[in-house]
Amino acid sequence: MRRVVVTGMGAVTPLGETAAEFIQGLNRGISGVRALDTPWIGQLASPLAAPVLTAVESQFPKLRRLVLDRVAQLSLLATREALAQSGLDFRGETGTECGIFWGTGMGGAHTLEQAYSESLLHPGARPRPTTIVMFMANSSTGQIGIEYKIRGPSFTYSSACSSSAVAIGEAFTAVRSGRVRHAVAGGGEALLTHGVMKAWESLQTLARPDTLHPETSCRPFAKDRSGFILGEGAAALVLEDLESALARKVPILAELVGYGNTTDAGHITQPDAGGQGRAMQAALDQAGLKPGDIQHINAHGTGTLVGDVTETQAIKQVFGKWAERIPISATKALHGHLMGATGAVEMVAVLGALQQKVVPPTAHRYHPDPECDLDYVSEGARALEQLDIVMSNSFGFGGNNAVLIAKRFHP
Amino acid sequence: MLVEEFGLTPEQVQPDSRLDELGVDSLATVEFMFMLEDKFKLKMTGEPVPIKTVGDIAREVDVMVAQQGVTLDIGNQP
Repeated sequence: MRRVVVTGMGAVTPLGETAAEFIQGLNRGISGVRALDTPWIGQLASPLAAPVLTAVESQFPKLRRLVLDRVAQLSLLATREALAQSGLDFRGETGTECGIFWGTGMGGAHTLEQAYSESLLHPGARPRPTTIVMFMANSSTGQIGIEYKIRGPSFTYSSACSSSAVAIGEAFTAVRSGRVRHAVAGGGEALLTHGVMKAWESLQTLARPDTLHPETSCRPFAKDRSGFILGEGAAALVLEDLESALARKVPILAELVGYGNTTDAGHITQPDAGGQGRAMQAALDQAGLKPGDIQHINAHGTGTLVGDVTETQAIKQVFGKWAERIPISATKALHGHLMGATGAVEMVAVLGALQQKVVPPTAHRYHPDPECDLDYVSEGARALEQLDIVMSNSFGFGGNNAVLIAKRFHP
Repeated sequence: MLVEEFGLTPEQVQPDSRLDELGVDSLATVEFMFMLEDKFKLKMTGEPVPIKTVGDIAREVDVMVAQQGVTLDIGNQP
């Protein structure tokens, strides 16, 4: 088996248009949550969301935009940053040794909603001829190939909130086995539309707005938590086998060493500590690590009543007494829940922590919950003397659990 | 409209300009024909017409205008 390293990362998030801005925003405790500025927002119980505020559409020529939903635009921008950092450029080359592994929960939600709205509200109206190719789940995957001339195998993963963690895990597996030499892996999500937000509202999982400090409404692991805030964005990693990275003499950001993926087989929405724990254990086993080796966890930590208690229990099951000594961060309090993109975004968060030896805070946890009694880094970003091995958890509706482990690279 | 909607330059938009060379692929061409229909209240003939150049678009519009007795409101009359 080959060793798999990360040589590039990119992120377009509610905290900024680069991975560096994202990591800096997390460490400063800046919240990307705000009232969405759109005419229909008054029809929702809560106006809160975590939108990408930087210019996205204007970064693409008009002709190109004809076939790019917002999710594809975000995905292309994150990929561009990751590829630029890695120094890989397949334009003019074959590109057949690079694969694309991309996750999304809803694909081109804006395009689909626009088409439905026009067709249903105005009988006789016709959707744009590009509707299908903009909303299909693999639209971003295909556009990444087209834009960056990546011609190896491509895969699109959709497992709700774990989609892009699965994408990265499967890319890791493919590079590790030698199926591909390089991989662009990550995910995108852009679902801040009227219909989608209304549907999430009906599911009763969104955070109650704090009227005085709305940006603090998502409070993972806190006694007064009430759910999550929907967000949008994309993140990409460039993975490659170690030999390739050494031959190219490029900086190595980290090494991926473990990936666990399990199914709860219990309930379509209720999480299961057993399934989550098995995924964490599987990742540890693949990495050849003991529980006591893990020095930081980026929790799935959505801020729902059931989810946070279940994840706390799962961590205790796997790590035993060591669980109390692991700094655990739930960064969704700041960047929102980016659904299919969130696993990739949070991998950027743990890789940033690894690089800087600073773990980001679990913000807005003013009132600890006795049922969530681990170390959630509530006081603010924390510098650590030693930080070499990190874990990221992502759990999706449908009962899919995906866990990734990265290490500081040592030849 | 090609300049406005697709970001092309006036110099690019010549009768003999090939659409594929301008980056206007088949999807974009259909999108553009829809735009023309909506803007000028035209209805495409439904017959598959090979459209390769800017001039082909103009000819298709001329056919539609003649068949449907429509006066083009190009928006620059006083």
